[in-house]
Amino acid sequence: MLTIKNLTKRFGSLVAVNNLNLSVGRGETVAIMGPSGCGKSTTIRTINRLIEPDSGEILVAGSDMLSLSAEDLKKMRKRIGFVFQHFNLIGRLSAEENVMLGLVMSGVPREAAQAKAIEALRKVGMESHAAHKPAQMSGGQQQRVGIARALAFEPELMLWDEPTASLDPILVREVLVVMEELAKYRASAMLVVTHEIAFALHVADRIVLMDKGSIVEEGLPSDVFVSPISPIGQKYKELIEYQLNTSMTTLAGRGLKATG
Amino acid sequence: MHFWKKNKENRFDVIRKALQRMLADTFNRDILVLILISIMIGSLVASSVSLAANAYFSKTLANLVGDYGEYDLLIQAREEMKDDTAQQVQKIIDDVFPGARLKEGPTITGKTNFFIALPDQYKVKKTYEDLGKTFGSIPGGAGVGVLTEPRLTIRGVPEGAKNKLMENIEQIAGVKFAFHDGSSVGVVLQSLDKTAAVSDQIKNLMNQYQVIEISFPVGSEPGNPIRLGEAIASDMTNQLKADYAKNVSIDGKNDDMTYMVSTMMELKRFLLAYASTVTLTEDAGVKLAKGDIVALQGISSSIPAAGSAVAKENVLVEITAVQANGILDGMITQGDASQIVNNQAYKVEQNTFSQYAGTVTARNPRQLLSSALTETSKFASQVPGFAQDAQNMSSIAVNALDNYSGSMNAVNQLLTNLQSAGNTIQNVTGGLTAIDTRSIENQLDNSSHAMGGLISTLQVLKLINPDVGSTIDNLSNTQNGLKNIKSGLSAMDNVASQARQAKSTIDTIVANGNSTVAALKAFDAAAAKNNLADVNTKLGMLQQVNVPLITAQLQYMAAAAPNLKDEDISHSVKLLDKFIAGQAIPGERIQILTTSNISTDAVQPIVVSNVGHNNVTLYSTSLGVIEPNARGQLYQVLSEVKAVLAGMTAIVITIFVLILDHTAIMTYMRRKRLEKKVKARGWRGLVFRLTAVFRNSERQYGMCIGAILLTAMFILAKGGIPYLPWIGVPVLGGFLGLIVSGYAEKISPVPTEELIAGEALGLSFDEIMREIVIPEGRPGLMQKLNWRKVKFK
Repeated sequence: MLTIKNLTKRFGSLVAVNNLNLSVGRGETVAIMGPSGCGKSTTIRTINRLIEPDSGEILVAGSDMLSLSAEDLKKMRKRIGFVFQHFNLIGRLSAEENVMLGLVMSGVPREAAQAKAIEALRKVGMESHAAHKPAQMSGGQQQRVGIARALAFEPELMLWDEPTASLDPILVREVLVVMEELAKYRASAMLVVTHEIAFALHVADRIVLMDKGSIVEEGLPSDVFVSPISPIGQKYKELIEYQLNTSMTTLAGRGLKATG
Repeated sequence: MHFWKKNKENRFDVIRKALQRMLADTFNRDILVLILISIMIGSLVASSVSLAANAYFSKTLANLVGDYGEYDLLIQAREEMKDDTAQQVQKIIDDVFPGARLKEGPTITGKTNFFIALPDQYKVKKTYEDLGKTFGSIPGGAGVGVLTEPRLTIRGVPEGAKNKLMENIEQIAGVKFAFHDGSSVGVVLQSLDKTAAVSDQIKNLMNQYQVIEISFPVGSEPGNPIRLGEAIASDMTNQLKADYAKNVSIDGKNDDMTYMVSTMMELKRFLLAYASTVTLTEDAGVKLAKGDIVALQGISSSIPAAGSAVAKENVLVEITAVQANGILDGMITQGDASQIVNNQAYKVEQNTFSQYAGTVTARNPRQLLSSALTETSKFASQVPGFAQDAQNMSSIAVNALDNYSGSMNAVNQLLTNLQSAGNTIQNVTGGLTAIDTRSIENQLDNSSHAMGGLISTLQVLKLINPDVGSTIDNLSNTQNGLKNIKSGLSAMDNVASQARQAKSTIDTIVANGNSTVAALKAFDAAAAKNNLADVNTKLGMLQQVNVPLITAQLQYMAAAAPNLKDEDISHSVKLLDKFIAGQAIPGERIQILTTSNISTDAVQPIVVSNVGHNNVTLYSTSLGVIEPNARGQLYQVLSEVKAVLAGMTAIVITIFVLILDHTAIMTYMRRKRLEKKVKARGWRGLVFRLTAVFRNSERQYGMCIGAILLTAMFILAKGGIPYLPWIGVPVLGGFLGLIVSGYAEKISPVPTEELIAGEALGLSFDEIMREIVIPEGRPGLMQKLNWRKVKFK
């Protein structure tokens, strides 16, 4: 579904993405992880050309994104759902209008767009908040509206740019649940930039570790986190072990028993 | 040819496509429509504001001055006094201008206007020049203005040149008369159709003359510009043979302030003439400069010592100049010259005695004047006695002259008598002179010897003959007789000799006497007597002089001599300097009215010669300018006000339109620019930062929109700002756009996240602008226009 070849992006003298190669298959969920500033967000934003890459090739459903005309790019963007870290909802519009916006602008009749929007909101459990403005919703609710907005087009590729990074832990869960459901039951490909190890372990089909603009390790979650070959992978492994040990010890100390 | 044709077709194709893009339903077209509507509304508003103001002022003006030529005089008085004013004005025109018509006009800003239409017979020069006098008794602080038409007004004419100009103007055909109209010259014409011709002739007349202005930089101003101007004008006449040259300094002659300043300058000179002059001979090793202060003991009981504080009893001297020989001139700023007993001076630093400076010598002109007047008074008291004595002497001299003629005659007679006596002596002794007494004496001697020999012989004979004794006696007697005759002859010879000497003496006396008499006869005794008579008369008059009065006045003058201390004088002079310096009226420039054929280059040496330095600037200006009549001027002012109001309104609207309608667009442009921004380093970074103001897209956009809006509104609303040329309008508009663009993001902070979301959703530029950017911006015309296009309202 998505093939990235030799992708490079520089900001002045800083090489944000360095000759990156990556592919995501239809129905596959790939999590990109790595330390802050390693080029994850830049990579994902170059896919729908929110950031213009310097060189390389990006193929989405066989279309070369970098050679598209402005008009074709707009059409292609409608086939790619994008969920932002900061939700990026239009402040003056209601949840329903936010979801409808892209549809109406792409020529979908208003009634049909409204129906699709309600359906998308229902999928994320937000149909009851359809008339609410972003300011009237919590962060998690806003993010779920953002997900509904991306889903409304029924995209072939979903790009997630740290969707839970701006949320507190309680709200993270409601977003992760939605993402997990989408990953399970949708056929579209998902490329997720995240720091959520649990999500990556549990949901991702493949983990891609990045450092300094390059992929340093790639593989199944069990491989990457259990037998890492890169220093970054080793750090993630240590982190997982630390969290597990700490959690277990703490739970045991409090008389609780871990489940699963 | 084919190539060019093809190229041409391509160019047209490009233009056609560009136009199509622009006219298609795009956001660019929205901006175009916005600009057009903004310009239309802005121009309309600006025009409306200016027209409304113009209409208001025009109506006010019409109420104020009536129809053309209807009224001749305008009197403005305080509103609360208008009844009394009306009554008084009516009384005046009944008395002075019978038949004149009075109309009460509108009251504006607390002043009521009264219009007066004069009968023709009163429309004469005297009437207009006496307006102040005629209406001087009106209560309420009224002012009188002239409305008579047709009339020309010439302004900028130096006061001193007015009379000459008016004389010449009144010779022009079509001119009824010219009059002093405040600071201008008013020219009343015989008819309106003469205006152009008279105006041309007045211009020609003024072109024959020029005003040469002589300006002085600060610090080089002349002491008395009025006198200097007179001197320069005089030299121009004498040296350049100028047909006409007169000091007409605008603020000079006939200007009360200048007279006052001139008087003050003279007062300053007067005071300085009475100020004590102090000279200081510096001690070795001391170096004083102009402005330094030295102190002397004065009337202080303590002898000055370095380090002690200066007291008010000390005498302070400010150094005013350093002579070429090193001696310093000074002026007493505290105390008085009479208080200088100890002449040792010390430098003053921070109000404390410092090092020993030298010795001072003071000269007090006031004291000298007082002494001189006292001595003169004493002298005057002696005058009557002196006159009396002189008159007595004169009388004696007259009497002497009265006897002068008699004396002269007596002397003449005496000389004549002497001459006669001399002649008589000469006649008497003339015979004696002719006798040869020497020969006779020799013969008598011989005879005597012979007789002696005979007598000796007879003596012998007597011995022989005693009878010869008688003969001997006879012979002896005869011999003695001969001796006597010889003695007589010798005496006679002496007499003749003495007679000749006497004659010679008499001749000398007579000759000298005649010479003296001739000299004395040259003396005009009569004239001398007349002169003495005059002297007597004058001495008599001198005796009539009221000497006690003169003496009293001299004593009064002595008493009235400035009883000022030197410190009073120095303080007064400084105060005068401050006042004179504060009066920028004279002193900075001198104006000389002269013929236009005199060049400033020719005048320059004369000015330099009179001023004493060449730190002056000369330039030639016209004698004056003809200004439109009051009504025309008012309408001109109104049109300027209208233009300014239109221009100011256009500026305000441009700013509002930029802020309300374009800042959101500028913000979006800025965001897009920053997405691509690559931070340059080193010299490139410096160049980028320096040129960013004009290179950044949102700033270019702001400048273009500002320039277009303001220029179009200025043109359509006929706006105008004083001193702002037309080319400055788009520049100003661009500048406004530049300023607004700098604050665009603060004015319309469009969220970046929403823009990115729009892009990610596949929205076009137009859709992003219409659905996200403009609705997030400030509520303005753009939002109103955009509202029709917004899908989600």
